[in-house]
Amino acid sequence: MKEKATFEDNMNELGRIVSELEKGDIPLEKAVQLYGEGVKLTAACRKQLDKAKIKITEDGGEAENE
Amino acid sequence: MPVITVTQINRYIGSILKNDRNIQGVMVRGEISNYVKHFRSGHVYFTLKDSESAIKAVMFANSVSRLKFEPEDGMSVIVSGSIGVYERDGAYQLYVNDIIPDGAGAAGIALEQLKKKLQKEGIFDKAHKRSIPPMPKKIGAVTSLSGAAVRDIINVLSRRYPLGELYVVNALVQGEAAANSVCRGILKAEAAGCEIIIVGRGGGSSEDLSVFNTEKVAYAIYNCKVPVISAVGHETDVTIADLAADLRAPTPSAAAELAAPDIALLYEKLSGIERHMEKAVLTFFDKSVDRFTTLNARLLAQSPEKRLKLTDERLLMLETRSKTAFLRYIDRIERDLAEKAAKLDSLSPLKVLSRGYSLVYNEEKLISSSESLENGDIIRIIFGNGGADAEIKDKW
Repeated sequence: MKEKATFEDNMNELGRIVSELEKGDIPLEKAVQLYGEGVKLTAACRKQLDKAKIKITEDGGEAENE
Repeated sequence: MPVITVTQINRYIGSILKNDRNIQGVMVRGEISNYVKHFRSGHVYFTLKDSESAIKAVMFANSVSRLKFEPEDGMSVIVSGSIGVYERDGAYQLYVNDIIPDGAGAAGIALEQLKKKLQKEGIFDKAHKRSIPPMPKKIGAVTSLSGAAVRDIINVLSRRYPLGELYVVNALVQGEAAANSVCRGILKAEAAGCEIIIVGRGGGSSEDLSVFNTEKVAYAIYNCKVPVISAVGHETDVTIADLAADLRAPTPSAAAELAAPDIALLYEKLSGIERHMEKAVLTFFDKSVDRFTTLNARLLAQSPEKRLKLTDERLLMLETRSKTAFLRYIDRIERDLAEKAAKLDSLSPLKVLSRGYSLVYNEEKLISSSESLENGDIIRIIFGNGGADAEIKDKW
């Protein structure tokens, strides 16, 4: 599983998998493989949401000097 | 001395006033009193006064409808209009086009002028408004680090959208240097890679909003390469920053809500995708099973067993048919034969004898006339049943 992929990346990948699955003109093995990947990705996404913690960066700017 | 009518004198005075530039297109400062709005026509009548003097004023409905506030008795205002004569009463009065609250003073007038200018320059154009990215990775906030706005934004985003990064640029939101500070803050947030920027401040109506009413900030928002949400935190006044922004939020908290989706929606979306995938793969299986069933049925139809059976059946059928045909043929021959035999039987001489006729032979020769007989010949008679030999005694 790609640990570095962002939530959005994973969601985009999921979108690709779903549309591929919906096409229906792929071999059964491929469909099963795609489904497997999709299940793993949704689990990864859910984990990312569970673990998500906002990152805050403060830029003092020039306001501090004035 | 010529005598003239009242109407003539009023009309004459009216024409003199109309031609006096000093009292056409004037701005008059004063306080509103006896304010009356005619309920049917929508025209407004009031007296404008100062400490020493008063003048009657009228504002027609079409001008009244353009006012952004409701004038009241006691309000200090600057009205613009012209002096004219109301001939019926012989009274001169102020015909008002516009009323500006005097509280805002020159700043208020300047603000209105700036709004009009920026409007003309297309800064507020709807066509220029950009849409908010659906899942921003980095959200910028340009506001005072010591203000309430930044705390509200952090609270909302921590709860609703902890996925992203919040990049807060400290900016002065009050005072002379505020406009430049906010502009630089927007540029910094943009340079830091923010996909959306919240610009604003918290607080109530009493706070100074002037920085958000500057041309500089309007242009900084307009020129920003990523969408900007204004969050000036003022419910009644719409600032120029609000008009220039891609989205206007009533408060910094609301701006944070507009900037990013709620994590609950993302969980829902994930579940939706899961269901979707399951359905897609099940449909896929169903289709595969259907295809297999159809193909299998077609395959079985072509199996050697099935074909042998088919050949067998045909053979059997052919056999039966040939057997029947043969039997019918035999039958016909038999019937033919029996018919012929019956005919043959009826023609047999023996059959005639049985009816009493007899056959006469002379030395193996069948006799049909007495001429071939001589007296003394021995003849043989054959009856239907048995026979006898006899001698000819007398032939005739």
